[in-house]
Amino acid sequence: MLKYFHNISGGNIRSLGPATFAALLDGMAKIVPAALLVDIFNTIYRFFSQTGATELNVGRLWTVSLILLAWLAVQYAAYSSLYDKTYKVAYSVAATGRLSLAEHIRHLSLGFFGKRDPGDITNLLLGDYGQVEQTISHNVPQLISAIMLPVIALAGMVFLDWRMALAMFVAIPFGVLLLWLTDSMQARLSENHVKAKNEAASRLQEYLAGIREIKAHNIGGKRFERLRQSFDQLKRASISLEGIMGPMIMGAMLLTRSGMTLMIFAGSYLLVGGELALSSFLLFLLVGTKVFEPLTTVLMNYGEMRYSAYSAQRIMDVQQESPLQGPASIQPHTPIEFDRVTFGYDDSKPVLRDLSFRMEPNTITALVGPSGSGKSTVTRLLARFWDIQAGEIRIGGTDIRTMDPSSLLRDISMVFQDVYLFQDTIGNNIRIGKMDATQAEIEEAAKRACCHDFISRLPQGYDTPVGEGGSTLSGGEKQRISIARALLKNASIVLLDEATASLDPENESAVQQAINELVANKTVILIAHRLKTIQNANQIVVLEQGSKIEEGTHAELLAQQGLYASLWNLQQNTDGWRVK
Amino acid sequence: MKAKSEVSGLLRIAGEKKALLITASVFSVISSLLQIAPFVAIYKIIEELLLHARDPMNVDKDLILFWGMTTFVALLASLITLYIGGMCSHIAAFNILYQLRVRLADHVAKVSMGYHTRTATGELKKIIEVSVEKMEQFIAHQLPDIVSAVVVPLLMIGYLFWLDWRLALVLLLPIAFGIWLQSRMFGSENGQKAYREFQYAVEEMNATGVEYVRGMPAVKVFGITADSFLTFKQAVDKYRDISLRITNLCKTSYSLFFVIISSLFVFIVPVGILIFNGDSANQAFAITFILFLIVAPSLSAPLLKLLYLGGGLREIVEGNRRIEAIFAEPMTEEPAVPRIPTSYDVVFNQVSFAYESRESKDYKPVLNGISFIARAGEMTALVGPSGGGKSTIANLLLRFWDVQEGEITIGGVPIRDMGTEKLMDVVSFVFQDVHLFYDTIEENIRMGNTTATREEVVQAAKTACCHDFIVQLEEGYNTRIGEGGTYLSGGEAQRIAIARALLKNAPILVLDEATAYADAENEHKIQQGLVELVKGKTVLIIAHRLSTICGAEQILVVNRGEIVERGKHEELREKRGLYEQLWRAHMSAATWKLGEVDRTVSGMKEGMENA
Repeated sequence: MLKYFHNISGGNIRSLGPATFAALLDGMAKIVPAALLVDIFNTIYRFFSQTGATELNVGRLWTVSLILLAWLAVQYAAYSSLYDKTYKVAYSVAATGRLSLAEHIRHLSLGFFGKRDPGDITNLLLGDYGQVEQTISHNVPQLISAIMLPVIALAGMVFLDWRMALAMFVAIPFGVLLLWLTDSMQARLSENHVKAKNEAASRLQEYLAGIREIKAHNIGGKRFERLRQSFDQLKRASISLEGIMGPMIMGAMLLTRSGMTLMIFAGSYLLVGGELALSSFLLFLLVGTKVFEPLTTVLMNYGEMRYSAYSAQRIMDVQQESPLQGPASIQPHTPIEFDRVTFGYDDSKPVLRDLSFRMEPNTITALVGPSGSGKSTVTRLLARFWDIQAGEIRIGGTDIRTMDPSSLLRDISMVFQDVYLFQDTIGNNIRIGKMDATQAEIEEAAKRACCHDFISRLPQGYDTPVGEGGSTLSGGEKQRISIARALLKNASIVLLDEATASLDPENESAVQQAINELVANKTVILIAHRLKTIQNANQIVVLEQGSKIEEGTHAELLAQQGLYASLWNLQQNTDGWRVK
Repeated sequence: MKAKSEVSGLLRIAGEKKALLITASVFSVISSLLQIAPFVAIYKIIEELLLHARDPMNVDKDLILFWGMTTFVALLASLITLYIGGMCSHIAAFNILYQLRVRLADHVAKVSMGYHTRTATGELKKIIEVSVEKMEQFIAHQLPDIVSAVVVPLLMIGYLFWLDWRLALVLLLPIAFGIWLQSRMFGSENGQKAYREFQYAVEEMNATGVEYVRGMPAVKVFGITADSFLTFKQAVDKYRDISLRITNLCKTSYSLFFVIISSLFVFIVPVGILIFNGDSANQAFAITFILFLIVAPSLSAPLLKLLYLGGGLREIVEGNRRIEAIFAEPMTEEPAVPRIPTSYDVVFNQVSFAYESRESKDYKPVLNGISFIARAGEMTALVGPSGGGKSTIANLLLRFWDVQEGEITIGGVPIRDMGTEKLMDVVSFVFQDVHLFYDTIEENIRMGNTTATREEVVQAAKTACCHDFIVQLEEGYNTRIGEGGTYLSGGEAQRIAIARALLKNAPILVLDEATAYADAENEHKIQQGLVELVKGKTVLIIAHRLSTICGAEQILVVNRGEIVERGKHEELREKRGLYEQLWRAHMSAATWKLGEVDRTVSGMKEGMENA
């Protein structure tokens, strides 16, 4: 329970304090009218019983009625303070939480972003905090009232008549117990439901992503059937979750609220036995209708509260991801060493095994090997997307794990196959390489990256906005913009991963030229599957299944007659290949 | 008016399970009525005590016990009816959700591919998952709740009027006042304006949040710390400020409404005292008075519920609008009697095409008067700069879009008259990006021909040079692909696609950059597979490596939506036009080496762009 409040408040449980206090005041303000109502009944009763007075005590009735009306103001004050506290706290906690989470994820490793679906992270920031807002403004005050009101009432009523109080509350623990017992069942059913939901989502993703294939192969029927089955499964899981959990929650409600019946039973015996004053009995009856109300509301919203607990848990999980840290900064133009590096995305399956090689400053190192041999992983480890499991990666003799990740990245330029452009102008997208660059510098970089021409031909030139994800430009154009960025950044280390793959001829030669501009006087790691392009590299490292099997210059490797030589020969053949 | 028609759209969807939902509403009303039972029981007990006020010893204890028991039984009955009603509405809801999803999935497969190109997969997925799920809230909860929240107070107020119209009238006044307060709040200029601003703030926060997360890798790589975070921070702060402003704006009327509605009995007291004081011997009135005092609070619950119910409606209506928009998307027209071609020459006759309709202001023709004949048994290659329209020509042959002008025929039969199914039977396609399904490798190959035997599948895999890597996998052909199964490299996936096409063995073959993602070792193998595949077919091939296609019977050079040159490799080179420039660019790209700046390339590129 405490953990629930802890998670919901984003770890800052104290921020719920004022709301709790206000909910308590509001709850107490609601009990007073019930007591005053009892007094009205008492007055009328005494008149009819003619024991106390023969005249109707109209004065007392009017007084009580005035107090009731005046009490409306108190109730208004209590409620509006609760309203203030809960909503203000809700929006502030959510805003603070959103920003602190946003700040937190900024310091997480790039590997974290590779591992998680960006939609998922976005949903944490937006959707899950929306749920937290809703929870703090609605569920938390309800929950507090539901717990505190019976407790306060019990404390007060015990003095009035302990037997009646006992009858009233004796069943509540059983209701809570039932709820607690069903928790594991709920967890299992929810798990089934989540599974069905994920399955349906995967099938749907597959169906939508493959719709072209489905149309082209006339296989709508079979794929559709699998999708339909997953929807059907989801329907069944949803219905059984409702159907089985329903009676449990109903049972809990029945137990907690049966206190009313028990109290009436106890009351009537005590009353007839003369052991209970009528006014006390009336008080119990009327307070009884008030005390159980918030408890019922909470039980009705039980599902929603579990759901918000799940949202909060997801947020806390990300908050607990530890950011990469390190104080040291990089010495540019110094040797880079991989020293017996072992790394795997999960610990049991290493992608790189005991890999060692050394790069002298301002040289070009090419990585070659079959797909899945770990080439891309090498470049990503150097940029510290992930930290390695064994060995050391050193730049200028300093272990990169002791380096500040952002200062490390300042000295690395990356040009990868997939380029992300911001929803901003083309000019600003290039400026990202160097935030204080002048327009002249940007244009100079664009010219060197062979993208000035196509940019100036656009109606708005450098001020042309690019769409979400930069979708209005072709792959080759985006690639050249990313090279312009990298040129402007002018970092001492350059990582190139298949930067010219899948471009058409006129793009390809332009991109190639741009890359040559970029790599001059830099320490370069390059991955390219066309071996001709890397003949000039100072050294070529051949990887197979995460291990280095050959190393040397183009000529040396050819002479070795190993994997590199056979790949080279294979490509010599393919280049002359024709379909017909 | 607009809101009304939108809600009626929701009701139409709900109407698919009318019987269940009416049952659900009836049970919901019964359950709400039963929840009044404890109040009635307390009233009955007090009445009994009052009637025997003078001789408390004669109070009928059994009667009190009876009413005590009644509270329990009524509670039980109310929970059971609540459960039955809830199950009815949930079964209805989940069935409707299921049907909606199936219909949506069925529909999106029948609309033109153009729709899928325009619409991101993620967006469609979100509508089918999330927007549909939101309907559950409306059908299973809001609908029966609204019915009982309206019906129960009406029944009760009717009953109270019948008992004593004066007291009932007093009860109506604060209710009317409360409702007026609320409508004044939501109807006011200020309220509307604030709500609009709130919507903008939400949208802005969402947009900047998405950009912040999606751009994060780039942000980190370039070490730009402040900017995108500040934009997001501003949006979050603005959202918070507007939320708080609306909270403040609503505070008075909302709190007032809440207090008044939950203290209804307070307003009866003075009037009751007045009447009672004038006629104090009237014990019957005293009892009615007490009944009013006890039962009035039970009116608050449904009335307060009504307040919360409107909450999620806007979002649900918005979701429904998106669902309807998908259904409104027209399906590809299918001929009543499909015609089947007997020969397989592909003819494009004066074909023009744009992704937008001619009336649209974004109208930008992609193809303009394209005419060519691709003869059976020959290879026709499409080459040219990117964005020139090569892939569009290939896509049109598959009828992913319908052409706006001109005609495409296969063996003399217009493809519109063939029907999608027959058309797909005669055309095989190997795309640049291959999509494999979460299934075994065998099933993924068998997609080409669902009646193929295991032997035929293996034979196709061998011809496509993927048999070797498949048998090296632990489970061979039974290996599942993706989602915890094996992930294949781009080159491996492409070879599977070629095996698929081999198995299909259709007379017409379209290859769109089929070797693009391959690495050295894979590329060689893919090429071997392709040589087998093209034998004796009508082949339409797109390849950016020109050496691949220079043996084609016909090469079409496509630039800016038109065929600018056509002929065989040697003829085209002699023309010294665009093809020659492309060829030379290709040759220099093929000999490019890292670290050597070659100034001649840029000169050539300029020449090409001027062409």
